Amino acid sequence: MLIKLYALSTCPYCRMTKKFLDEAAVDYEMVEVDLLEGTEREDAVAEVRRISGGASFPVAVIGEEVIVGFNKKRIKELLSL
Amino acid sequence: MSDGTPAGTSRHKRSMFEPGTGIDDLKAFMEPFVARLGYKFNTETEFVDEVLEAELEILERDGDIYCPCRVRSGDPKQDAQIVCPCIPFYRDEFARIRKCWCGLFILADVEDGEELLGVIEEPEGPIDVPAFALADLPSGQIRHIKIGKRDIAVARVGDEFFALSNVCRHAFGPLGEGLMDGYMAMCPWHGWRYDVRDGTTDHPNADVRTFETVVRDDFVFIRI
Repeated sequence: MLIKLYALSTCPYCRMTKKFLDEAAVDYEMVEVDLLEGTEREDAVAEVRRISGGASFPVAVIGEEVIVGFNKKRIKELLSL
Repeated sequence: MSDGTPAGTSRHKRSMFEPGTGIDDLKAFMEPFVARLGYKFNTETEFVDEVLEAELEILERDGDIYCPCRVRSGDPKQDAQIVCPCIPFYRDEFARIRKCWCGLFILADVEDGEELLGVIEEPEGPIDVPAFALADLPSGQIRHIKIGKRDIAVARVGDEFFALSNVCRHAFGPLGEGLMDGYMAMCPWHGWRYDVRDGTTDHPNADVRTFETVVRDDFVFIRI
């Protein structure tokens, strides 16, 4: 399953989510939006807004589902951990 | 902009925190303010320090203590709504999850802030949104408060509290900036009178909506 994590380098919940995924040895792609610049950053923010309806982080895309915030329970369910 | 100012700038230059601002400075600065909004720092002190450290990094990088969990849009007006503490802009949302988005602040009556870290659980049904500390709303006064998208006027008569739509049905004047006469709120613009107990007025088809209020812990809450 494709897992993508939109995060901010400064955000504690993003760190918790990263740590959780790392400890579960899950493969995922991560975009640290605040470290991007120019159009790359604009595109990433636009994408986060499009899929989550806001600009709050973290935003995890797991398959078809979009999870805003560090929702350990839901991530576990989706990944059958 | 019509005043010839380039988009994204302001005629007023914003002032920022002093260089060398530290965690303890932020705590001392924020604590008395959020207390008047019905919030306190999270009981998880390490977490609080982690968030404030992040805010200080952001201060260095972006010039203000923006929320570590949200991203700036580049529009200064919009971005002002994610400068910490941002509680006044999200009163309903935060009262529902019992904390601010980051969890740096929790509602004053939450005993264990750790339980609120992580999953965002939104309970069903009505929620009580802290509006004013009782001391901030003396008897005979009416004040406006923005709760999410709602503009509400909160009035006090003795030890009774009332909440009604802030918008006068006559010419849309702000009732919360008006005057009280007993149980009557008088619109500051043309003096239309509303009974704060039920939102009624003598003018035809002009009654306004009222909201339930709850008083506890020296605070008046609006039930939404």
